[in-house]
Amino acid sequence: MQTDQIRDNLLDFLVRNFVVERQDIDLDKSLVDEGVIDSLGLIEISAHLEKTHAITIEPSDMSRQNFGSVTRIVEFVARKLAKTAS
Amino acid sequence: MTAPLQHRGPDAWGTYLAPEVAFGQTRLSIVDLSAGHQPMATERSVIVFNGEIYNHIELRAELEAKGVSFTTHCDTEVLLRLFETEGTAGFSKLNGQFVFLIWDRKTKTLTAVRDRYGVRPLFVLHHQGRTYFSSEMKSFDGLPDFARRYAPECVLEHATLWNTLGGRTVYQGIRCVEAGCFEVFRPGTESQRGRYYEIGQELGRIDVPKTIEDASQHFTGLLQDAVDLRLRSDVPVGAYLSGGIDSSVIAHLTKKNKKENFRTFSVGFEDSAFDESHFQRLVSDQIGSPLESIRITNESIEENFMEAIYHTERPIFRTAPIPLYLLAKRVRECGFRVVLTGEGADEILYGYDSFKELRILEQWKREGAATSAPDLLKQLYPHLRHFSDPKYFGMMQVYYEGFLEDFDNELCGLNIRVSNNKIIANYLNRDLGVEFDKGALLERLRAVLPADFSQWSLLQRNSYLEIRTLLDGYLLSSQGDRMSLGHGIEGRYPFLDHRVVEAAFSYPDDFKLKGFSQKHVLREAFRGKVPNEILDRPKHPYNAPDLKAFFRNGVLTERARHFLSEKVVSDYGLFDTKMVARFLRKFEGKIPDQVGYRDNMIMIFMLSAQIAQFWARSPKTIYLDPALKRVSLCDY
Repeated sequence: MQTDQIRDNLLDFLVRNFVVERQDIDLDKSLVDEGVIDSLGLIEISAHLEKTHAITIEPSDMSRQNFGSVTRIVEFVARKLAKTAS
Repeated sequence: MTAPLQHRGPDAWGTYLAPEVAFGQTRLSIVDLSAGHQPMATERSVIVFNGEIYNHIELRAELEAKGVSFTTHCDTEVLLRLFETEGTAGFSKLNGQFVFLIWDRKTKTLTAVRDRYGVRPLFVLHHQGRTYFSSEMKSFDGLPDFARRYAPECVLEHATLWNTLGGRTVYQGIRCVEAGCFEVFRPGTESQRGRYYEIGQELGRIDVPKTIEDASQHFTGLLQDAVDLRLRSDVPVGAYLSGGIDSSVIAHLTKKNKKENFRTFSVGFEDSAFDESHFQRLVSDQIGSPLESIRITNESIEENFMEAIYHTERPIFRTAPIPLYLLAKRVRECGFRVVLTGEGADEILYGYDSFKELRILEQWKREGAATSAPDLLKQLYPHLRHFSDPKYFGMMQVYYEGFLEDFDNELCGLNIRVSNNKIIANYLNRDLGVEFDKGALLERLRAVLPADFSQWSLLQRNSYLEIRTLLDGYLLSSQGDRMSLGHGIEGRYPFLDHRVVEAAFSYPDDFKLKGFSQKHVLREAFRGKVPNEILDRPKHPYNAPDLKAFFRNGVLTERARHFLSEKVVSDYGLFDTKMVARFLRKFEGKIPDQVGYRDNMIMIFMLSAQIAQFWARSPKTIYLDPALKRVSLCDY
């Protein structure tokens, strides 16, 4: 899956579930810090990513490095998928 | 203006008219039932007073020793005579919950005063060259050419902090006299404000107990005295039992000295997730008091929401006030007019999670993420599954890490609340031009903080903020005063006796939060007196069904659908119609088992904000019963 598809899918999920306008989401800022989601939101996103992309998110994956922004989440999922494919 | 306050004082009413001033008062008779009618006058002054002065007997004796004589046994007269004798300097002697207006007939001076923590409300409106005061804002609705209109920037501030700062309210032109303050008005001049009390003012003046054992004894003595003072009443006194430690302690101390005609009251829920009946019964059985309980369902929340918002007058964030509104009704039906409750303990004894969060963040920042500090997050919410699940622990770490940079700014623990609640800004009508601006919020906050705020510990600062925001703006008002007096019931709060508050404030942080043991001194003091099952149970915040109460079989209830419809949202103009519709679509037909804090908050905030606007636009017409008029004074 291309990164832009992963991004679009994630943004659709955010817009649908967190009632936020797509243009209000800064792709490079933390969704938590920007108030788009709360702590429960991180869990919902994690569950959505696992279900949509058939990946397993390990406890060690949970970090700002991987979940610190939409861009980082997309890159993280792309890395996971590439690893699974190889 | 007086008639809309009838529910606060259903027993009698009276008026005073003079060329410069007019008073109206509705009375809830509690002390000196036959002689305490208001407005009350002496040759020199006239007073209207709402509340109680608990130490009126001691103050009376002090004044009598100075040669002052009295004609009633009522605390109202004590207030009058104290002011006539000592002026504004006498306010700091008052132990109670009160607001009053005193008119000096000779100097033509009006003095308005409010209690230390804002238990009783006092709103002020300047309109068409006149100044109006009232215990509730709905009194202003009948004034010519006046209508309550939201101040959108204040609505957002209220949404983020659960209160507005600096005496502002969510309505344009209406402010309140701030807690611990008095204001003096003279015709033709600007009013002058004075402060007779600020939280923490006794720091350095109180002898702080050295050990937790000494502190337990010290605190128990003060709290018992605070309870005893609050049992002074000429009508039966009861107590609320929530099932938590605070109300259990108060009920225990009440029963100790109140053997006769004492009853406890509690709220039970049909939904077991909210129900604490088992713990309430445990305490009532132990102290041997009859327990009167009401049972709350989703339906009863929904059916009474509208009437409760008539009383709160402003948006709320949870439905938790509604069961207390219904409980007050039951208390009145049982022949009681006064109840003691446990409010204030969480703020003064570090009972909220915000205190634990700050302690973790402080350690985390000091020691770094590579240490065990982040692991402490697991202990934050033991009752929430996802906090103990290792899979999701990292997510919590990501969440809290975002606060490491600014948790020790002036907002302290409120940084997290503000971060969660600022989402409300996205739901406001964009045409209003209101945006969340944390820098501006911090500036406004800095302007109202006490001078020595920065010298306090982080947890003391948080305690101050919780008292001035959540307690004042929500728990004592929307969930407290407005709900109980909606049915003519007076709530009394021993933990908010200023001697208790100042003692607790002066104790070392570890006496209040030892590790993660909250209200440590209280637990130590009452071990062996209150059941261990109560003392040792994890904190269970008092909540009621929120969003779910407004859906039936996945469909929005009729009332909620009306107030959140595109037409009404558009007519009222506060919210963005598209955002409201999208929010509701998220839940239509598919309400998840677990609704998060934020979605519950958004739903209740929007619905209550709409209904509060409805009441501001459609005031009720209420008439006072002429047969209950007891005072008719005139200086014309």
